[in-house]
Amino acid sequence: MGIKKFIENVKESLGLDEFEKAGKKKSIKRLLEKLKSRKEILNKVPKKKLDKKEKKELKEELAIISLQIKKGEKILDELNSKSLKTTKNQKGK
Amino acid sequence: MLRKIFLPSILIVLAYGFWISPDFKEISAGVAIFLFGMISLEEGFKAFSGGTLEKVLQKSTDKLYKSIGFGMLATTIMQSSSLVSVLTISFLGAGLIGLAQGIGIVFGANIGTTTGAWLVAGFGLKVKISAYAMPMLVFGVILIFQKAKSLKGIGYILAGLGFLFLGIHYMKDGFEAFKSTIDLASFGGTGLKYLFIFTGIGIFATVVMQSSHATLVLIITALSVGQISYENALALAIGANVGTTITAIIGSMSSNIIGKRLAGAHLIFNVTTGLIAIVFMSQIMYSVDFVSNTVGIASDNYTLKLAVFHTIFNVIGVAVMVPFIGRLVVLLENTLKDKSTEETTSFDTAQYLNDSVLELSGTAMAAIVRETKHLYTNAFEIITHGLNLKRENIISTMPLEDVVKKAYSKSAIDIDDFYNHRIKGIYGEIIDFSTKAQSQMAPEDIESLYKIKLANRDIVEAVKDTKHLQKNLIKYENNSNIHIKEQYDSIKIGLAELLRNIDLISKMTEEDKIIVLLSKVKVHMQRYDILANGTLDNLIRHDLISNEMATSLMNDSAYAYNISKNFIAMAEIIFIDINSDLKSLSEDMIMNDEDVDSILREKDA
Repeated sequence: MGIKKFIENVKESLGLDEFEKAGKKKSIKRLLEKLKSRKEILNKVPKKKLDKKEKKELKEELAIISLQIKKGEKILDELNSKSLKTTKNQKGK
Repeated sequence: MLRKIFLPSILIVLAYGFWISPDFKEISAGVAIFLFGMISLEEGFKAFSGGTLEKVLQKSTDKLYKSIGFGMLATTIMQSSSLVSVLTISFLGAGLIGLAQGIGIVFGANIGTTTGAWLVAGFGLKVKISAYAMPMLVFGVILIFQKAKSLKGIGYILAGLGFLFLGIHYMKDGFEAFKSTIDLASFGGTGLKYLFIFTGIGIFATVVMQSSHATLVLIITALSVGQISYENALALAIGANVGTTITAIIGSMSSNIIGKRLAGAHLIFNVTTGLIAIVFMSQIMYSVDFVSNTVGIASDNYTLKLAVFHTIFNVIGVAVMVPFIGRLVVLLENTLKDKSTEETTSFDTAQYLNDSVLELSGTAMAAIVRETKHLYTNAFEIITHGLNLKRENIISTMPLEDVVKKAYSKSAIDIDDFYNHRIKGIYGEIIDFSTKAQSQMAPEDIESLYKIKLANRDIVEAVKDTKHLQKNLIKYENNSNIHIKEQYDSIKIGLAELLRNIDLISKMTEEDKIIVLLSKVKVHMQRYDILANGTLDNLIRHDLISNEMATSLMNDSAYAYNISKNFIAMAEIIFIDINSDLKSLSEDMIMNDEDVDSILREKDA
């Protein structure tokens, strides 16, 4: 077994790749939490009290946050499905 | 000149010593192996000091006690106060820490270095450490030959420790054999005269070996076999502490003024501590006896008592000097002045780029990021003035319609002149320094560095586009055609809003806010596309502007679009903390053109 393969095997058995993914997952989860709470706060803003310009700005910010949440959730799903595949492969071996 | 005489003299003395005494040869070989071990150990720790360096430093040096603790811990682990000093100078040079924090680290390092004496006196002399050295050397060298940076680092650390142990073994053996031929202790004595003589010898030995740790190990091994008396060993230890400052001073030669100030603080601290130890020698010796009795060290165990002495006098030094750190900073700032600020040159130069930060890829990267931010600050000012706006109004909460009404000056500023004085030089220095730093970086760091270089290019391009835009902004500012004036005012408001938002992003720490604001500026950037939104067609169709005006407006809206695009691209690279979690996600999370289009479609709906 070559040294490269040996290192790869050690990394796999110690779950070092998973460690990196777990860190990324944690970051994205934290970011999603913040974005969702921000969206909630903006949704609670009484729209009747806002002028036209402010309403437009609020609408725009909500659209941006919703899109960011969607993007974040997509990344999280991808990370989760990758982890699932790795676990299945390990069990298969 | 001194170097030309000093080095050959030392070599001749050593060669003569080797010729007349094989035992002296063994001791010297022990010192040489020990020093080689320290070099290897330093190399190993450097392999692990990149990446999260800035984060760790910020968290562990924000308060004085934390700085001292950091210095203590780092020196205890790395067993080299010189390495910690040189690294601290590197951190200072990159602007990662302030002078007071740097002084705290150096003070802590002085306490940390005392652990070396404890390890050698308590462990190194009691067991046959050469038995541990051999396997460490074998495993270490095998790992050094590996390609992976971390394995290489572990290899250097193991080999370093192996050489340290082997060095101590040879020193001990050499002194034991030496004892049968010459009794060095007979040259010693007691009293003030010998105190000064042996302090001087300690300084000299440390200057030659460039390591107080090596001197101390030599003292402990000589003391363990009775080749020097306990009192003389204490004086030698004081000398070793003073002599080590020379290493830091040499390290600071290539550093900027802050590094030189730190080396000054190190010198003042160690000389003051040394003087305190000399003046209160009998009281400190009494304290050593008291502590030794309390912790159960035998009264004739002089090597451990030396370790106790070394710890007590360094702790006293820190305790005495800590209340004066503020004054020390002022004193050093007043005596060691920055020549570049004294010379009233009108050309702005790089503030963070110096050879001392090249020690580590982490500090080099941090210095380049900081310098890029410096370049951005200058560009921000030039663009603001180029648009004939006041900087303080842009970064305030003043309504943007009012910001554009308050002109910066009655006549147009010369952007070319500003560019030559405040951008060109720094930009050149950043590119030159990046090339130097790149040679020592890992592939992933080189990729980050490439992005930072792109950010620099974006800044420069934005300034150049402002120059093109400025001409017509002035021309149409007070034009009788209200429609063209309105369009140019709108460009100005748009750019003022962009500059305000980028300034906000530069000061933000919350990741979610950065992401949302970056997305917002990207959406707003689309307003310059007057071809797509139909504005230009409308103006021409209704004959509201001339053909010449239409061409100018089309070109200038493209310049405004490019300024925004370049500044946003730059902000995405340099204002998202290089070590933050967001950096690893930024490419996936930040809005692309498709996302911007979808937001715009939603807005129009």
